[in-house]
Amino acid sequence: MTGLIWIASLLLTALAGFPLVGHRAFAGFPPPTRLVLAGASGAVLLSFAMTVAVLTGIPWNVPWLVVAAAVLAAGLRLVLRRLPVSPVRGPSEAGGGVIVVAASVLSLAAVAAALVATVAGAATSPDLLFFWGPKAQQFALARAFDAAFMRDELHHHMHAYYPPLVTNLGAFASMAAGRMSWTGATLTFPLLLAALAIGLPGALDGRLGRARAAAVASLTVAAIAYLGIEADVAGNAEMTLLLFETLAIALLLSETAASAPTQLLAGILLAGAAAAKVEGLPFAAAATALFFLARPEASRPFWPAAARLLLPAAAMLSAWFAFGASRRIFFGYSGYGRLLDLYPDHFGLVLSAVGRSLAATGHALPWLVPLACVLLALPLDRRWILPIGTAAILTAFFLFTYIHRAEDPSLWISWSAPRIFSPVAVLLSIAASLAGGRESRPARP
Amino acid sequence: MRRVEGARVLFAPLIGGAVLVGFALASLPWNENLFRRPRTLFDRSAARSVAPGYALVAAAVPLVPAGATVVVRTEPRDPTAETYYHRFADALLPGRRALPASFYGRFTPAEVSRDAEYVLIVGTRPAEQPGRLLLETPDGTIWRAAVSR
Repeated sequence: MTGLIWIASLLLTALAGFPLVGHRAFAGFPPPTRLVLAGASGAVLLSFAMTVAVLTGIPWNVPWLVVAAAVLAAGLRLVLRRLPVSPVRGPSEAGGGVIVVAASVLSLAAVAAALVATVAGAATSPDLLFFWGPKAQQFALARAFDAAFMRDELHHHMHAYYPPLVTNLGAFASMAAGRMSWTGATLTFPLLLAALAIGLPGALDGRLGRARAAAVASLTVAAIAYLGIEADVAGNAEMTLLLFETLAIALLLSETAASAPTQLLAGILLAGAAAAKVEGLPFAAAATALFFLARPEASRPFWPAAARLLLPAAAMLSAWFAFGASRRIFFGYSGYGRLLDLYPDHFGLVLSAVGRSLAATGHALPWLVPLACVLLALPLDRRWILPIGTAAILTAFFLFTYIHRAEDPSLWISWSAPRIFSPVAVLLSIAASLAGGRESRPARP
Repeated sequence: MRRVEGARVLFAPLIGGAVLVGFALASLPWNENLFRRPRTLFDRSAARSVAPGYALVAAAVPLVPAGATVVVRTEPRDPTAETYYHRFADALLPGRRALPASFYGRFTPAEVSRDAEYVLIVGTRPAEQPGRLLLETPDGTIWRAAVSR
C-alpha cells in the first residue's frame, strides 16, 4: 500500500504544472499530452521549489511544496501573457485508425513488459539502493538536503554533487507516503514509460499526422522498454531523464517550435533533464545550440529564444550549486576531476568496451532498429540536425568522459554505457520521423 | 512512387517497434516462474547475486534499533560484495550507522567496524561467533555483538 501511495503521489506534479500547461497556448495538444506535459513541467517546478526552500531555510512540507510549484507555474503563465501566442495547431484529422490502434497496442505491450520486468525484480537498478534512494529517504527524514549526511566520508559513494531532481521527487513521494518505498521507486520505470506512451503521440501529431506520430511514438517507447529491461533501469534516474529529453526534443521539432510558449515549455523540460542527471546538461546545451542550426526560421529573434530555452536550466543548476557551495559540500561538477586530465591512449580500449557493452544489451537492437528506421527514412529534412547532432555530441561527450580514468575503464563502461547511451536510442527513434526532403508533411496512409 | 515512400516512413517505425517489443517480451525471465512474487527487488535481475545480502539486511530492520551501529560482512570474505552490502545497510537501515567492512572493493582496517553493535553475516555461519545470535536465515546470520569486542 505504501508503494502505491508513494508512486501515486508523483501524479500531484500534474496539479503543480497545470497552471502553466493549462494556458490556451497549449490548447492544441490533445488532453493526454497536456496532462503529461503538466506532470513533467510540474515535476521540474516542484524540484526547483524544494531546492529554493532548502536555500532559504524553509522545511519541506508536501501540500506547501505543491502550492509553491503551482504558484511558480502560475507566475510563468503570467509571463506567457506578455509573449506573442500563436495557438498550437490542433491534432490532425482522424485517419490511419488501424495504424494508430496497432501502434497503441505496441506501446501498451512495451509498457506491460517494463511493468512485469519491474514487478518480477528483473529490472532493478542497484544504483537505487546505492545512492538515489538513500539520499531521497534521508532528505525526506530531514525535510531538506541533509548536509551532514552528504558530507559524511562513508557516504562518498552517494555522489553528493549529482543534480537534485530525482532525489527531490523521491523525497517528496517518501514524505507523502510516510516513508521510502523501494518498490514504489522501481515502479517509476513503467509509470514514466507509460506517461511517454500517452503523451508523445500528441506532441508529434501536429507535425506528422496521427498515424505516423503513433508509429514513431511506439518505436520510441519500445526502444526504451527493451533497453530499460536489459540495462536494469528500474528505480534509477534514467527513465526520468529520458522522459524530459524525449518530450523536449519532440517540442523543438514541432510545427509550433517558433512560438514563445512552446520554447518556454521546452526550456523547462530541458531544465528537468539537466537537473535529473549530470549528462542532462550537455544534452540541454547541445539540443539548444542545434535547435538554432536546425530551425533557423523558428529561433528568431535569437536572444529571447535562447533565454527561454536555457534560463530554466540555469536557474535549476544555479540553485543547486549555490546550495553545494554555501554548505561547502561540492563546487559545480568538480567531482568529475579536471576537465583535461585525459588518457587518450585508452581511446581504443574505450571504443571496444562501449561496443561490447552495447552489443550485450539486447544485441544492440535498441540502437540498431531506430538507426535502420532513420536510414529507411532518408532523405531527412533539415531538422535532422537537432536529434542526430545531439546524439553525436552526446556520444563524443561520453567517450571524452570515459578517457578520464587512469585505470582501465572497461568495467566502468560495462555497467554504465548501456544506460548513458540510452538517449542516443531515443534521438534516433525521433529522427526516424524526419523523412520528407525539405519539409515534413503529414502522411496519408 | 510517393505512395511507396509514404508507406515506408509509416511502416518502418511500426515494424521496428514490433521487433523491439517482441525482443523485450522474449527477454523476460519466463522460465523463472515470472509471475511468482519475488523475495527481493533483485531476484531476477542481472544483479541477482546481491539478492541474499539484500534479503538479510532487510530482515535486520526490526532487530537493529535506531541509533545503533551495524556492519555487514560476508562469509567467506568478499570485499566487493561487502562494499555493496554496506551500501544496502545505508539504504535499508535509516537512522542506524552502517560501518563498512569493505569500501570501494577493498577491506577496511578492522578498527573501522570493530565497535559495531550489530553484525550481519551474509553466507555461512562463521567459525568464530561474533556475539549473540539474533536470527538465522538461509541468507546468513544476524548477531548482537559481544560487549567485550
